[in-house]
Amino acid sequence: MLFPPDKELLQIIGVTLRMSFFSTVISCLIGLPLGALIGSKSFRGKAFLKKLIHTLMGLPPVVAGLIVYMLFTHYGPFGRLQMLFTVRVMVVAQVLLITPVVIGLSSSFIESASKPVIETARGLGFSGVRTAALCIREGRSSLFSVVLNAFGRSIAEVGAVSIVGGNIQWKTRVMTTAIMLETNKGKFSFALALGIILLLIAFAVNALASFIVKEHADG
Amino acid sequence: MVEIRNLKKRYGERTVLDLPQLTIAQGETVALAGANGSGKTTLLRILAGLIKATAGTVETPEQKLYMPQQAYAFRGDLRRNIQLTRADRAEADRLLQQLGLDHLSEKKATSLSGGELQRLSLCRVLSQDCALLLLDEPTSACDAAGAALVVKAIEAYRAACGCTVVMSTHSPALALHAADRLIVLNGGNVEADGAPEAILANPETQWAKSFTAGWKL
Ligand SMILES: Nc1ncnc2c1ncn2[C@@H]1O[C@H](COP(=O)(O)OP(=O)(O)OP(=O)(O)O)[C@@H](O)[C@H]1O
Ligand SMILES: [Mg+2]
Repeated sequence: MLFPPDKELLQIIGVTLRMSFFSTVISCLIGLPLGALIGSKSFRGKAFLKKLIHTLMGLPPVVAGLIVYMLFTHYGPFGRLQMLFTVRVMVVAQVLLITPVVIGLSSSFIESASKPVIETARGLGFSGVRTAALCIREGRSSLFSVVLNAFGRSIAEVGAVSIVGGNIQWKTRVMTTAIMLETNKGKFSFALALGIILLLIAFAVNALASFIVKEHADG
Repeated sequence: MVEIRNLKKRYGERTVLDLPQLTIAQGETVALAGANGSGKTTLLRILAGLIKATAGTVETPEQKLYMPQQAYAFRGDLRRNIQLTRADRAEADRLLQQLGLDHLSEKKATSLSGGELQRLSLCRVLSQDCALLLLDEPTSACDAAGAALVVKAIEAYRAACGCTVVMSTHSPALALHAADRLIVLNGGNVEADGAPEAILANPETQWAKSFTAGWKL
């Protein structure tokens, strides 16, 4: 089944990558600017906000799945969109899970490493948004690992995506839910093969990322 | 014009700055001196609006620029570091030349020596206009020639835009050569305030004494 890889396997890998890619991109687009803002500003209620984010960072995936399920179920507030059991709603659940992680990690990074950047940029009269953008630019290799972390979580996640995606063959089945299914069926060798492919993908993404970071290390 | 009234800055129980009344006229160049921990950086950062005073009022012009004590090198070469302020290339090159860094303009800023980086940091600040220029020890890492370039650049900038300058320093030479007025801080209080020559000629402050008395550690 693996050599040559059959159509279904390729399709599962495709869905997995598509879902992880969009979840990562969207949660970073939301999370990195917010993390930079929170990390670079001091304001009232910041300590509380950080506690909240840290709590959300530990949000159990099945809980996130349940929340998104209730939002998108037929009678839910977004029921009309008829998105339940699609890859899109899996991305929504993933974004809910990963964004707090991106905000939390990037804000504590910015807070500790960006003091001199902030001091210098504010001294030059730069706006808060511009200062945050500079912090991201200056710390991009560390922030890159935040992005990787987000991708890693997204590709490895199973609880939320199986609830809202439904593990539908040819449609919403991803590597992790397929592994779960094959294990339940007792097809351990196929499950294991899927697991190895998952690891290989994770390794390839990491290798690519560290190559990119090295390229730009002191650019 | 800078107007300070009943200014206090506390960290926990400790008062690190206590200035009942201080006025700096528009166009004045003030040197701020005093021992380590006397409150120079704290005062400059309050004037820059980077930190808030615990009590009191501080009035400053809107347009101000502040150069931190610790110079920072942004990614990229020297020219790009200056152009972060949206200065054009010609202006960046003019400043690099003025501060004796033109031969390094395409080098990475992170590769600069301490004194070079400090001068780059000044270039970056001077690439914009302002009404109040705040410099935290602008010559502390420079050699004599570098310090002279810094003083000249500050004077040329001030002549061009007529701004007020407040700069902290540990160097009596800088106070004498570049400032109309010297304010000496001691433990957060003003210990002396007047013409630099007068304060340095009749040392009554701990700070001035430490120079005239020489090294006695
Ligand atoms: N964030 C802070 N928290 C607590 N204490 C602080 C803080 N920032 C400054 N201080 C204290 O305030 C005092 C004045 O500090 P400041 O940096 O203004 O001194 P300075 O005159 O600039 O000294 P130096 O010549 O070493 O640069 C110091 O004793 C310092 O320990
Ligand atoms: Mg200082």
